[in-house]
Formats: sequence, C-alpha cells, structure tokens
Amino acid sequence: MRLASFLAAATLALGASGALAAGKTQYPLTLENCGRQITFDKAPEKAVSIGQNSSEILLSLGLADRLAATAVWVGPVLENLKAANAGVPRISNNQPSFEAVVKTDPDLVAAQFVFDVGPNGVVGKREQFEELGIATYISPGDCIAKDNSMRDGARTKLFSMDLIYQEIAELAQIFDVQERGEAFIAELKQREAKAVASVAGGKAKDVSLLYWFSSSQLNGDAWVAGKFGAPGYITQVLGARNAVESGEEWPAVSWESIVGRNPTVIVVGTMDRRKFPADDPKVKIDFMEKDPVVSQIDAVKKKRFIELSAQAMNPTIRTIDGIETVAAGLKRLQLVD
Amino acid sequence: MSFSVRDVSWSAGGKLILDAVGLDVPEGATLGLIGPNGSGKSSLLKLLCRLRQPQGGVVTLGGDDLASLTRLAIAQRVAVVEQQAATLEELTVREVVALGRTPHRGRFSPWTAADEAILRRALDQVDLGGRGDQSWHTLSGGERQRVQIARALAQEPRELLLDEPTNHLDIQHQIEILALVERLPLTSIVALHDLNLAAAFCDLVLVLKAGRVVAAGPPAAVLTQGLLWEVFGVRAQIGRSTRAGRPHIQFLYDDPVRRP
Amino acid sequence: MTRRLGGWGPRALFALAGLAVLLAAIALAVSIGEIAIPPATTFKTLANRLFGAGYEVGRVQAGVVWEYRMSRALVAACCGGALALSGVVLQALLRNPLAEPYVLGISAGASTGAVGVMIVGFGAGALSLSGGAFLGALAAFALVLLLARGARGGSDRTILAGVAGSQLFNALTAYIVTSSADAEQARGVMFWLLGNLGGVRWPDVYLAAAVAAAGFAICISQARALDAFSFGEEAAAALGVPVARLRLVLFAATALMTAAMVSIVGSIGFVGLVIPHAARMLVGSGHGLLLPASALAGAIFMVLADILSRIVVPGQILPIGVVTALFGAPAFALLLYRARRPE
Repeated sequence: MRLASFLAAATLALGASGALAAGKTQYPLTLENCGRQITFDKAPEKAVSIGQNSSEILLSLGLADRLAATAVWVGPVLENLKAANAGVPRISNNQPSFEAVVKTDPDLVAAQFVFDVGPNGVVGKREQFEELGIATYISPGDCIAKDNSMRDGARTKLFSMDLIYQEIAELAQIFDVQERGEAFIAELKQREAKAVASVAGGKAKDVSLLYWFSSSQLNGDAWVAGKFGAPGYITQVLGARNAVESGEEWPAVSWESIVGRNPTVIVVGTMDRRKFPADDPKVKIDFMEKDPVVSQIDAVKKKRFIELSAQAMNPTIRTIDGIETVAAGLKRLQLVD
Repeated sequence: MSFSVRDVSWSAGGKLILDAVGLDVPEGATLGLIGPNGSGKSSLLKLLCRLRQPQGGVVTLGGDDLASLTRLAIAQRVAVVEQQAATLEELTVREVVALGRTPHRGRFSPWTAADEAILRRALDQVDLGGRGDQSWHTLSGGERQRVQIARALAQEPRELLLDEPTNHLDIQHQIEILALVERLPLTSIVALHDLNLAAAFCDLVLVLKAGRVVAAGPPAAVLTQGLLWEVFGVRAQIGRSTRAGRPHIQFLYDDPVRRP
Repeated sequence: MTRRLGGWGPRALFALAGLAVLLAAIALAVSIGEIAIPPATTFKTLANRLFGAGYEVGRVQAGVVWEYRMSRALVAACCGGALALSGVVLQALLRNPLAEPYVLGISAGASTGAVGVMIVGFGAGALSLSGGAFLGALAAFALVLLLARGARGGSDRTILAGVAGSQLFNALTAYIVTSSADAEQARGVMFWLLGNLGGVRWPDVYLAAAVAAAGFAICISQARALDAFSFGEEAAAALGVPVARLRLVLFAATALMTAAMVSIVGSIGFVGLVIPHAARMLVGSGHGLLLPASALAGAIFMVLADILSRIVVPGQILPIGVVTALFGAPAFALLLYRARRPE
C-alpha cells in the first residue's frame, strides 16, 4: 500500500511538474521556420512586428510591453487590442525601411509576409537582420505551399487556419507565454467549430461563393479571391464551393467571367479606406445592380450579398471573423438549414 | 512686268543676307542669278516665292504685293525647284510629278484627263517620258533633278524659280534643261554657278555679292573682266560664244586668283 | 514591289473588302470570349439588337454578347483606327518613319494624369481616371508645343521636344508610383498603362466613335496636303499648302484623337507606329488611299489583338498593349522581309 501511494504520489508529482514543464519554454529554443533554423537563448525582449496579423497575434498574447514597434497596417486594430496597441510605437502603415526597423534595437523581427522580409524582402532579407544579431520569424501561412514571386502570390495548397494556430503556438513558445497561446488558440478553434456547426446540414455544397475585394476601375476587372487563400478556406470549412478556380490569391477577373460562373452568393468586401471608388461596398452593390449584364444573374437579382470586412479575407486571426460572418450570412439568406 | 523687287533686305541669325536688293524681271525673260557662295542667291529665290518674308522693302508679282497673296495663289503661278529634294517615302516618278498638280486640284477632286496630259507632257519635256513607274529612290541625282523640274512644269507656272538646277546633271542634260527653260514662255529665274551657261542661256543676269546687287543686265554688258575679278576673284578674257550676241568667258587658269 | 490602284473601281472594291474583313473580325470578337456562348445564341442576339428580330435568348448570355463583347470590339476598332490614322499623319508631318501618336507626349501625359488621379488623388474625387488621363495628355501636348515653338518648329525640333516632354512626364509618373503607390495601386496602374479594354461599356463606344469619325473627317480632308509634305515643309509651302495652319490643325486633331482614346483604354503601343507602314506596303504612299487603308487596318488589327488578349492565356486577360507588341512585331518583321528591295 505504501509503495502504491508512493508511486501514485510520484506519478502525480511527475505529472504536475510535466504539466508545468509544458507551460515553460526550454531555452535554447530551436525552431524550423520557413526553411530556416532559428535559435533563441532567451525570450526576446524587444520585438518589431511587420504586418498587421503578426502585430495582432503578439498583442493578443499580451506582449505589448515587449513590442518595440510595429509596421504595415491595412486597417484599424481589433477593438479588444486597442488599448494595448496604443502604447506601441508605429513606424508606418506602409513598409518601413530596414534602418527604421533596426533603429529600435530589436532582438526579433516577426513578419507576416515573405514579400516584406524574405529572399527578396522589401524591408530586408533575413540574412541582413541576422547579421545584426536580430532573429526573424515569418508567418508560416505565407511561406508554406506558396509561391511568393509576385506581390500577392499564388498558393499551391489551400490555406488553413492550422497555419495561424501554428504561428500563435510558435510565437507563444518563443516568448515563453505558452499558456496564453494555448488559451488563444482554443478560443479561436471554439469559434470556428461553432460557426461550422451552424451551417451543418449539407446544403452548403450547392452554394458557390464569390469574394469581391475591390477593383482599380469600377467597370473593369475585379480583384476576387482565388480558391486557395483565406476566403477559400472559409468556403471549404463551411462546405461550399469557391466560384473562382485560380490558385492566385487575388486574381483580376473580368465581369464576363464572373457572370459565366454564376455564383450563388457574392461576398462584398468592406473596408475603411477609399483608395479606389470600388472600395466602398455600396458602390460595389450599386454597380452590380446597375450593370446591364451583372444585374441579370441570380445572385444580384435576389440580392444574395454578404458583406464581409476585407481584413477577414486575409489569412489571419480575423479569418475566424470571416467564417462567422459568412456562416451567419448563409443562414440569413436561407441557403442552408 | 513679272517680279519687281524694291529695296528688299533680309537677315537671318543676326546676319544681313540681302541688303537693299532691287530688280525688275520682264515677263517671259530668263534671268540668271549669279554670284559667289553666300551672296544670297538662294535667299533671294526664297523671298520671291515668299518662303521667307523680307524685313524691309517690297516684292511685287504682276503688280500685286507678294505679301498680300495667299500661299495657294502664289503656288498656282510660281513653281520652285530646290537644289536638293529628298524624301523618305516610296514614291514613283509619276507620283512626284503629280504633286505639281496640287495647287490646281481641290481637296477631293479626282485626277482628270487634263491632269494626266499635263503630267505626261512635263515628263516628256525633261526627257523622262515612259519612266513614270520607276521608283524615285532608284534615280540618279541628275534624273531626280529632272523629275523635280517636271514637277514644277506640271504646276503650269507663269514664273519658274530654279536653284542651281544643273548641279548634278551630265553636260548634255545641263544644256537640254537650260535650253528648255529658255524656250518656255515662262518667266524664269535661275541661280547658276556656271558663268558660261548663264551667259549662253540667260537673257539677263543679276550679279550678287555679299547680299548686294553689283550689276544687272544682259550678259554681254554685265560679264566683264573687271566684274569677274572684283566679284569672282578670277582673271579671264571675254570672247564670243557660239550663241550669237553672247559672251564666252575664257578663264586664265594659270593666273593667280584673288585672295579674299 | 508595291501595288498601285488606279481609278475608283478597284479602290471601292478594296474598301469594301476591308470593311468586310473588319465586320468579320468584329463578329469573331463577339463570338469568342471567356465563357462559351453557342454561335446560335450570338447570332440570335445580334439579330435581335440589330434588326429587331424576336428570338428568345438567355438574358445573361445576350448581355455578355452585346453589352460587353460588342462594345469592347467597337471601341477596339475605333481606337485602332484612330491610332493608325494619327500615326500616318504624324509620320507625314514630321517626315520621320518612327513617328507615332505618342511622339508628342500624349501617352506620357495621360499616364501621369491617370496615376495622379489614382494615387495622389488629383481632382479630389471629382475627376475620373479617364478625365485625369485626358487632362494629363493635353498638358503634356501643350508643353511639347511650347518647347517646339522656336526655330519655326521644324520636324526635328518638334520630335526632340516630344522626347523631352515625354521623358519629363514619364519621370513624374515614375516618381508618383514609386513614392506614393502601394503594391495594389501599382498593379492597377500597370494594367492601365499597358492598355485595358476591360472597363469598356456602350457609353465609351459613343465617345470613341464620335472622336474617330471626327478625326477621320479632318485628316482625310487634308490628304492632298499631306502628300505635298513628301519633300518637306518648304516644298509643301511652295505647292500652296498653308503649312503652319495645317500643322496646327493636324497636330491638334491627332492629339485630341489620341488623348481621347488613351483616356478610354490606356496607352496601347505599336499600332500607331507599324500599321501605317504595313498599309503603305499595300496601297502606296498616296494619302488619299493611305489614310482610309490605315484606319481600316488599324481597326482590324486592334479587334484581333483584343480577341487574342482574351484567349491566349486561359482564364486570364492579357493587357492588350502586350498583345499588340508581341504579335505585331513579328508580323511587321515578316512584312519588311517580304518587301525588301531587290538588289
């Protein structure tokens, strides 16, 4: 009996310390990230994040105090992160210069896009940062199964939220805040599961979705979501089809082609900026209802529009918002049970 | 009276090219413009067809002030043959000569039988009849010159201005062209370098030096030893041409020329 | 070596043949596209719209045929014709076989105007992309005219002024794009700069047709005068052509024609340079024939280029400027080769 209880106690103790051990990062930490080995001797103290998603992940992990600066923002920060973000200096909304980043004396640069930090990085190459002793972490979502020779790039495989969860977990590990990481991931997964469950019923497979982000000229070709990007993931997870077959993330597609595909639902991108007239969702809907050809397709005649924030169409934590919004929209339009 | 020039001056680039030039050209006459290079011969010709405007003085044509006539009116009466004509276009001899009919054709009027007859006659007059389909670019310098003259003739002008028309021609064609010009019932003003040709074929000669008229009149009166030395800087003897009443200049090649 | 057409009989025949080819090209353009529409449907749609026949046709397919493809083909035809026409006129006036519609700064200015509106926000929302492009084109043209003013605006000086003006405006465009444009805007601008018929609808057809018709009328009325330019301005003046007035009228006409077209479809290169030469090889240098022949040839070429731009790469539309260069350059090389002078 005493051996058994000793063993039980020992197991419990081991188990407990094991659980605690899982929560703390062992340094030196080596990770494989986008084709490179990165090593950390300790948790970074001053990080620069380039890319809104990277910034929002770090803020969500409660790391505002360890963020030296951020850059590359496409819209306002998430409401719940506003207060935390207020204290973090922002270098610029556009790509910062290499020196501007280095000036903040960081020990880690977390980037969302290979376009910004990568072999042909606009901000800098990974080697350039590493030469100065600055580690770099690139979002797996942008380098796994993706050809980044063009700006938006083209995916060879469907994007998955798993890539974002991987990013959150890895960043949490690097910064030694794994508990927060796990909690955050759990929350996002729960939201995703709930949204998917709300449209379960199989009818979604008859629905084809077209995501219209914007157009440089209203009458001209439209920037719509390809089938492998975040909108493609949203579509797949909800059991529907993407109206566009292209592997590019945001191909420019003619209205003749769109009309030919006859999408069931048109997801209209909303955003704050007004860079192009077509940025305005009202303008987009108005165009579709007034164009002599587009106005004749079912989706427009029956006003099957779902408005979705453009940021949710990016492969980021906001993709979960996207899943929720599109699911709700499909239910509203009574296309699923 | 055809052309009448009163006290005309013209400058270009700050330099005075023609200085108080005056002349009267009787109708039907063939006037030779002679003088050293830079004496203003070409410029005077350009003033006569109003390709340049005089800064002083008046040019009249048939009593009308040249400045008051429209370009079209001038072109219907005065034809010009430049020293060198060049084009990048693929044109045939016919097409070049046909250009001469431009002043007489309206915007949309078709090519008439009359136009055709005039064109053929012009070509025959320069001895290029039957070569209408040949490409301009395959012609020799002399042939091109003759085609341009044919073009000018196709304009049915009353006045013909020729700027050194014999420059590239074989001697036989030089003689032929000048004989033609002399024969035509037109008023012709020909800038020439060859003094003997001027003497032989021109009723009147006008001698220019540094933009001024030095002498004017029939060749026999104008072309003297003194003038040849003063204006042209050469020693010569004036003899008699095979053409009655015309002088023939025998240059004394071994005598020293005048240093400017 | 070159064919010459005498008399009105063969000319009329030739013109009719050209028109027939153009109509065939347009019919082809209307039948081919990104979505497969059965020829019967196309035929019925055209019959309905043109002759009021009462066939039943699917509204979407009929809409694509008429509202999208037909308007696009017609604008392409007008644009190709206008650019070729401008090319002929400028080559005659400037006596330079490399002259083309953009030599006076039009395209460069239009690009600056377009990026000005798209990126910097010129006109504060009141100016459309086309409006900005048009104003930019005129501004560049005015500058070039100003620079060319001295020394009687001789051809060489005019061309140099055009080069200077174009370089200036191209530099401005580059500056705006590199300093202020983000990747998206740069992408949008690029499509416009290479020519883009994607946004064309019927209102554009009316504008393009009116401009092309007016331009054609002005140019053809000066055909004789243009012939007179063969041996230079002085020779033309000596033949009774009011040179200064003619240059002004024709420069203005070609500039306005080109600026209008560029503002509708962006700058499509190659057509204005090469079609006049190809037409010359077919009908000779007489402008009475050359002008209509070039206009027709340009129209046909542009319609065919538009068709190619929509089918060459499946699922994607190439900028038409890329197609005109890619397919036009070898075609022209072939023409040159076959027309080479016998030794």
